[in-house]
Amino acid sequence: MIQGPSVDWFAIAPEVALIVGAFVLLLAAAFARGHERALSLILGLGTLIVSVGFSVAAWGDAPVVTMADAFRVDDLTELVRITVAALAALVLLLSVGWNRLREQGSEFTALLLLTCAGMGVVAGSTSFVTLFVGLELFSLSLYVLVAFDGKSRASLEASFKYLVLGTLGSIVLVYGAAFLYGATGSFMYDGIAASLAEGGSGEAVVTLGTALVLVGLLFKVGVMPFHMWVPDVYEGAPTQITGFMAGATKLVAFVALARILLDALPAVEHLWSPVLIIVAIVTIIGGNIAALVQTNVKRMIAWSSVGAAGYALIGIIVHGDLGLRGLVFYLATYAFTAFGAFAVIALFERDQSRAKGYATLDGMRAWGFSRPFAGMAMVVFLLAFAGFPPTAGFIGKFVISGAAVTNDYVYLAVVGVIGSVIGLAYYLRVIVALYDRSRKSDVGLPATPGLGGASLAILLCLAVVLLGGILPSLGLDWAGQAASFLTVAK
Amino acid sequence: MITVSWLIAVPAVAAVLLLLLPFGRQAAGYLALLVSLAVAGGVIGFIYRFEPLGGDQFGDNIAWIESLGVRWHVGVNGVSLAMISITALITACAIGYGMWAGRDRSHASFALILLTEAFLIMVFSARDLVVFYVGFEGMLIPLLVLLAAWGGAGRKAAVVQVIAYTALGTLLMLLAIAYLGFTAPGGPNFSMADAVGRGNDWVFAAFALALVIKSPLFPFHGWVLPAYRESSPEVAAVLSGVASKAGGFAFLAVLVPLFPAQAATYAWVFIALGTIGFLYGAFLAFRQSDGRSVIAYSSIAQMSFIILGVFLLDSRGATGATFQMVNHALVSAALFLLAGWLETQAGSGSFKHLGGLARSRPVLATVALILGMAALAVPGSSVFASEFLIMLGAFEHSWWLGSIVAIGIVFAAMYMLRWISAVLHEREGDLVGSLNPPDLRRGALLCLLPLVLCLIGLSIAPAQFTDRVDAAATALVSSAAKEAGR
Repeated sequence: MIQGPSVDWFAIAPEVALIVGAFVLLLAAAFARGHERALSLILGLGTLIVSVGFSVAAWGDAPVVTMADAFRVDDLTELVRITVAALAALVLLLSVGWNRLREQGSEFTALLLLTCAGMGVVAGSTSFVTLFVGLELFSLSLYVLVAFDGKSRASLEASFKYLVLGTLGSIVLVYGAAFLYGATGSFMYDGIAASLAEGGSGEAVVTLGTALVLVGLLFKVGVMPFHMWVPDVYEGAPTQITGFMAGATKLVAFVALARILLDALPAVEHLWSPVLIIVAIVTIIGGNIAALVQTNVKRMIAWSSVGAAGYALIGIIVHGDLGLRGLVFYLATYAFTAFGAFAVIALFERDQSRAKGYATLDGMRAWGFSRPFAGMAMVVFLLAFAGFPPTAGFIGKFVISGAAVTNDYVYLAVVGVIGSVIGLAYYLRVIVALYDRSRKSDVGLPATPGLGGASLAILLCLAVVLLGGILPSLGLDWAGQAASFLTVAK
Repeated sequence: MITVSWLIAVPAVAAVLLLLLPFGRQAAGYLALLVSLAVAGGVIGFIYRFEPLGGDQFGDNIAWIESLGVRWHVGVNGVSLAMISITALITACAIGYGMWAGRDRSHASFALILLTEAFLIMVFSARDLVVFYVGFEGMLIPLLVLLAAWGGAGRKAAVVQVIAYTALGTLLMLLAIAYLGFTAPGGPNFSMADAVGRGNDWVFAAFALALVIKSPLFPFHGWVLPAYRESSPEVAAVLSGVASKAGGFAFLAVLVPLFPAQAATYAWVFIALGTIGFLYGAFLAFRQSDGRSVIAYSSIAQMSFIILGVFLLDSRGATGATFQMVNHALVSAALFLLAGWLETQAGSGSFKHLGGLARSRPVLATVALILGMAALAVPGSSVFASEFLIMLGAFEHSWWLGSIVAIGIVFAAMYMLRWISAVLHEREGDLVGSLNPPDLRRGALLCLLPLVLCLIGLSIAPAQFTDRVDAAATALVSSAAKEAGR
């Protein structure tokens, strides 16, 4: 009989809670047909709250390594868990008035909970095996969630593209991990790092393995030239899922990237650092220029999120205390900014009779006057994308550029600046469209179903974005505490 | 005790309320006007209580972002006080003019003007680099939205130009500030006082570029004409009256004291650019065929002249530059309001269609003449006093610089005289004949009058101004002057 590894159940309680919640929900739904919406909201939000409760309870504790050392629960893991669960809760709030929630809410919510569990696993992985398990858990769930707008061809098409390209990324990642295993004899990040530090790192196998792992991860974070899926998937997916992906998937993928590069592959920094620098420059410029010519706001923000991923790469390239703290703060606040922006778009789509593909600049004209709160919130989110004070986006940009200029990466900071200037141009197009006076607006639109839930979701995102900009001390402390668990924090 | 933080918070909070709550046109206008007058009242209190030799006053210094060493550190010295005064005055006049002109969606436009005021006061009172930057970059957004949403026909191109120029410069300044703050000995620290002399040439260059664009100095003045021409008159008044002064102020109060060695070494660059801009702007102003373009180019010329004054690096130049900033703010804000009023009344700002307006319009003629006389610096006017100070400094610097400056001042007289004669005198323009615009009356006059009265007051008692400002202005350039061996 094979002895299983010892498991610290409290350390993995958030994931356990999510998985148990998902199955309870599916079972309960089988007995309570017709109450899909209430059931998914109550059980879904309840599970998420329990999960966050476990994470918050463990916040600040010494790191715990469990599951045969393949899973580490430190404050970075907790921060990702909490952020992801909060975003999932916002997804549910935003879905209140969505007819699909009434039809198949239990499946939707269960998949969402499983996505969160997978993301938690990825965030705490210290081994390629756990990483792959978590990655597939959340990716498979997301493929279905993207396709959940069943009647829309765009949604199905987006899901298929995501499935094919996402799987390709996973395969490349696994292939690379296999090469690294061949070179070092370990799937564990620390084992790989120790072996690489001892042996020469010039071997072709190590280079090949590093390159493939890097490509696989860059697929997941969605930076150029591995970004092709991002605009299509973001545009086609149900908008609340788009927001979730822009926030949560990006955060998780970046944490995985940072852990692998800084924990497992610090010895070959000379291999990956130049690649990342080129990728960051190309992505920041390319993503923003592509966004500049979009007329569909959903797609525009998808492109801008590509550019933002390039910007976050600067934090990893620079690393060090300031760079990593900036990275974590930037990504965590970006998650809420992006979700908020997509939540506003979701509300707009619901205001229109046709639900899909309608959030064009032209269609949004003067809508800001009809929905003053959502319109103003959108302005704040767009300014946060552009990194303007007094939003959290400014602080994130400020810390990352500060890290870059003080660590001899001035040119990266300058590229970031150029990206911001381009960004401002298209964000302003949206703002001007929202408040175009030349078109008559229908003041006092009727309340759409789920307006309250959507407004609450937008309000919560707005609070995070503004508090993160006006009183950023606490958030920066949390980010610093979480970032300190990335090994190479100089 | 009211500190300057209140003058920032009150308009900012009022702006948010105006944006979020469904105010009617009348209510929004009166609330905005009341807030701007309250700020002006606070400023008058400051002027009354101000101690010229007391250094920074009415300030606050509390921790803001502790882990980054950023503090909410604001204070008012003589130069700041001058700038905050014109900000409060011009904002109130601009809001008054907006009420009179009746903008649609007026509550949003008033909110954005108030927001601009808050950010501007932040710039003028900042003693921490991040606070300064937040104000400097923050004001860009409301001004851009005002231009993009309420601007004239060519507003789209104007917006793109403003973004391309000013946003780029401002963001480069952010990198300079990040470098200064994060490399401070003993952990990150963004206090201006602690950053003195720590920057290298590159940091200086990035910082200076932002200010050169903002001011603007030749050859980065491309964005100014479209922005000033396409904005609505009250926004153009704020833009040219105060927002452009943020650049000039920052040269004097931030760049020169923070980088004394570089300021002394590269002073000749700014003096050269300032001289070129002064002459070139005046020449272009002379060639324009409509009122707003004349004022826009004259603004470029005047800002160049002011920055030239700053980089003379002596007491007279600095005090003269501050005085000239105030004078020019009053003149250009009033002229933009007047030119905008003319355009709405006569249907065009082009000299082709105007002319002969002085006939049977005594109030308009008087106001325009007073402003024109002030702008061309007739002896006895406050502009004469400030230009004379700068000219003295220039002669002190070298005889040829003084001579060039004197020629430039003559140019200024030429384009202003041309404007006066084209609008007020000469043959009656076709639009003047057909539309028969009324004389300046009540509403519009009430918005112009405070600016004109301030000009007259400063002309009568310029010492009231220079006594308050001289000590601070001299202190700001003293270490750079020492570096320059003066």
